[in-house]
Amino acid sequence: MKKREERLILGKGQYADDLEFNNMAHLVFVGSPHAHAKIVSIDITRALALPGVVTVVTGKEVAAHTRHLPVQANFTSKGWTWRLAEIYAISSDKVRWYGEPVAAVVAETEEIARQAAELVSVRYDLLPLAGDLRTALNPGAPKVYEDWEDNKQVHLVFDFGDPDKAFAMADQVLSVTNREGRVTGLPIEPRGCVGVYDTKNDTLEMWGSFQTPFLARHNISATLGIPEAKVKINAVDIGGAFGLKIHAWKENVVALASKLTGRPVKWMEPHRDFVTTGPHQRDVFWDGKIAFKNDGTLLGLKATVFHDLGVESTNKGIAALSIFPACSSPTNMYKWVGMHVEGIGTVTNKSFYCAYRGYGKDKGIKFIEGAINQVAKQLNMTPEAIRMKNFIQPHEFPYHQINNYVLDSGDYPAVLNKAMEMADLDGFRKHKKELADQGRYLGIGLVTAIEPAGVAVPNCQMGGITEARVLITPDGSVEVHSDRTEIGQGTEISHATIVADILGMDPAHIHVKRVTSDFIGQGPLSSRGAVYPASAVAKAARLLREKVVKCAAWLLKISQDQVVLEKGFIYPADAPEKKISYAQFAEKVFFFPGPRGLDPEMLKAHDHLLDVTTTWYSPTTPESGSSYTSFCVSADIAAVEVDIDTGVTQIIKYVHVHDAGTIINSQVVDGQIHGGIIQGIGEALYEGLNYDESGLLQNTSFSNYLIPTSVEAPDIEIAHLETPSPFSETGSKGMGEAPIIGSKAVILDAIEDALTPFGIRVNDSPATPEKVRSWIRQATGQGR
Amino acid sequence: MKIPLTFVLNHQKTTFEIDPWQTLLEVLRNQGRKTSVHRSCEEGECGACTVLLNNKPVNSCLVLAASVQGASVMTSEGLVKNGRPHPLMKAFTDELGIQCGFCTPGMLMNAYALIQDAGDTVLTDAVIRKALEGNLCRCTGYINIVKSVMVAQKSKLAGEWW
Repeated sequence: MKKREERLILGKGQYADDLEFNNMAHLVFVGSPHAHAKIVSIDITRALALPGVVTVVTGKEVAAHTRHLPVQANFTSKGWTWRLAEIYAISSDKVRWYGEPVAAVVAETEEIARQAAELVSVRYDLLPLAGDLRTALNPGAPKVYEDWEDNKQVHLVFDFGDPDKAFAMADQVLSVTNREGRVTGLPIEPRGCVGVYDTKNDTLEMWGSFQTPFLARHNISATLGIPEAKVKINAVDIGGAFGLKIHAWKENVVALASKLTGRPVKWMEPHRDFVTTGPHQRDVFWDGKIAFKNDGTLLGLKATVFHDLGVESTNKGIAALSIFPACSSPTNMYKWVGMHVEGIGTVTNKSFYCAYRGYGKDKGIKFIEGAINQVAKQLNMTPEAIRMKNFIQPHEFPYHQINNYVLDSGDYPAVLNKAMEMADLDGFRKHKKELADQGRYLGIGLVTAIEPAGVAVPNCQMGGITEARVLITPDGSVEVHSDRTEIGQGTEISHATIVADILGMDPAHIHVKRVTSDFIGQGPLSSRGAVYPASAVAKAARLLREKVVKCAAWLLKISQDQVVLEKGFIYPADAPEKKISYAQFAEKVFFFPGPRGLDPEMLKAHDHLLDVTTTWYSPTTPESGSSYTSFCVSADIAAVEVDIDTGVTQIIKYVHVHDAGTIINSQVVDGQIHGGIIQGIGEALYEGLNYDESGLLQNTSFSNYLIPTSVEAPDIEIAHLETPSPFSETGSKGMGEAPIIGSKAVILDAIEDALTPFGIRVNDSPATPEKVRSWIRQATGQGR
Repeated sequence: MKIPLTFVLNHQKTTFEIDPWQTLLEVLRNQGRKTSVHRSCEEGECGACTVLLNNKPVNSCLVLAASVQGASVMTSEGLVKNGRPHPLMKAFTDELGIQCGFCTPGMLMNAYALIQDAGDTVLTDAVIRKALEGNLCRCTGYINIVKSVMVAQKSKLAGEWW
């Protein structure tokens, strides 16, 4: 069952850095030391003179041999502001952010390439900065893209339900804001790949840390002008991704370098480069008003969310696209009359914005959960009481939300009740009072969330396409192909379990193949794994089962309803002793007696070909416009103690109750929960990318961009409820991102609760010790 | 100019021709083909390249290869016996103390030293967490890793280790 894990444990992983090819050269990028500057000249002569240097690729070569990076999402036609930049993989005229590559050195060894990179001499003319959102939006601000009117890339306006009616009905309206700092997902393994251009066949093949090979192929092919049919992208073992390895951009330069040199070219990104020139996320500011009745009934929201997107250059719409779920997600799991939400995305001189666990759907939920807890305080209600009052009820599913999400299933009150019971909420509240008498600050946070999972947004690369193939080979083993790359989230275990159950086989005989661009699909982004690829695989396995049953009925000379498939054997229901193994079965169907030994009608129907390729698409998306198919449910309760002298937050207890529909493998689900929660805690307490006034990123390593270590990570108590989704083939829901949403919100809520005596609103993450101390100083009037 | 380097690698006396400036990480990966030793930060921060040097865990990216002349170095490949996973490895698989697998080999070597050094003292959650502080993991949230180490120590105390 855990074939992959056993292989990796034995040290037999093959990650990008482990790839080796004959005659392979190594590529190292030269990054800009400035955040915004004109490139006056690039002198590569000294670099080229270094023995062992093969070539140096600059923006000039890239412009001569490639096309602009292709558009990935374009919603200009909708009447919204939606600007895109025409940019090459390496710019030749100016740099727009700190670390932006200006050249790539190719050499015989990585060490020589690194040395030569130091010898590339670039003259820059510094330009004024659009270093943050406020500066960038100022009239007359320095422009990141000269041909744009200003730095506003996106402005989306949504009216869900009837927002004016909601506010007209309200007894009260409360102003709420929330700020999330800029973060990076930061897998331990950076990005890397090898490009091999075959000059005889004019084909390109790449191996590397590709989270979405099919999309990467499209983008690399389009850039290099090679037909997609002549390009193949292979995902190797991937050392964590979380969305950060979807994007292909520097990889395009690696491909070009291989084409220009005619040699395999390897690029392994230094970890600091992964921080400075990798995808960033969050960095939003919410400003809104929430309308409600005095009895706690929630009515509406009017809000604007401002995004600091960094540069647009390498993204071509994918960063902008994340503003959709940010604007839609505040509805969370409650009933509303209406919402008016505007999403503004601004480009600045920072690294680009792309996917990281949450992508956008997390932002609205974190904002609204904080807002609802403010409403509860205003009304002297408990956070659980206001939620219970506004939850969509179990009998109301499927529920057509005002934002067009079709919520599939769930029992929201049951999830919250279970969490309260496990957390001993009353006991902790009593304990809080006792500690308060001792001058200690305990806080209890409570947050509930649904995760919109399995994205399908038509008209862009997140369109929801997926394909799967399941086949039986002549030796009776099974191959499973899909677009679901393994990034540590249990693809192999899940697929093998699904197929083994359907075919009645031992999972040991199920071989889940590595993902390549040969199979259509978006990959495992947006928690699609348990929704799209798992559904496609289940569907293919069921169709294959029908073929197996037909062939077996003929071979065993029994009726189809008498065929039993169990534990790797096939037998008549009333005569188990006549069992044949899958190996014997497959051999008979393929070779002995072979297809001619089967019923001619079966041959006409191709039933003897034990191979099914199929696709799967959401049953709700086409008609409702719901961009997500499943919505897993969670409740997080945390107790923290804040040391008001040091500002340090310690997590005393953490409870997470979860309903992800049918669970395929609980160990895998628990692992996703653990990891996601700890990442959310990191964002809540420590993680923040800091650019200085010159636009230089200050924290580019693990020593100053702090992710939780084993010491900071708390123990987590988990319980599962299982309300199957009616919309996926297996009843399971996507759940990979849910834990990072609730955990960040609940820790901040708990800190705010702990600091109640100071009246501090904790709405600016990360809540670092420094920041907590400064809030307390401000609240108590002790200096600035 | 290459220099010869002789040391015991995974129980076997080994000699490589190395450049004097090479780190132990580079020599283990490039000359030694021990690709379980993973390269990430190259600054001694992440722990992905942890190996045992004379039975003590070190970040091999910070060790000058030439300095291990005559020493004993063990990578996670050295735990494997006749192709069989070490009970410590089995514990990580059984408890799913592994997700993407990139931090795992370094984590294993640190955990191995921890359990060896603990003798008969049963390791507590807090002690394990403190010991593994230098091995960053972004996937598991550490919970199943701590559990794996506890299970592994039980197997050691039950005499199942080699």
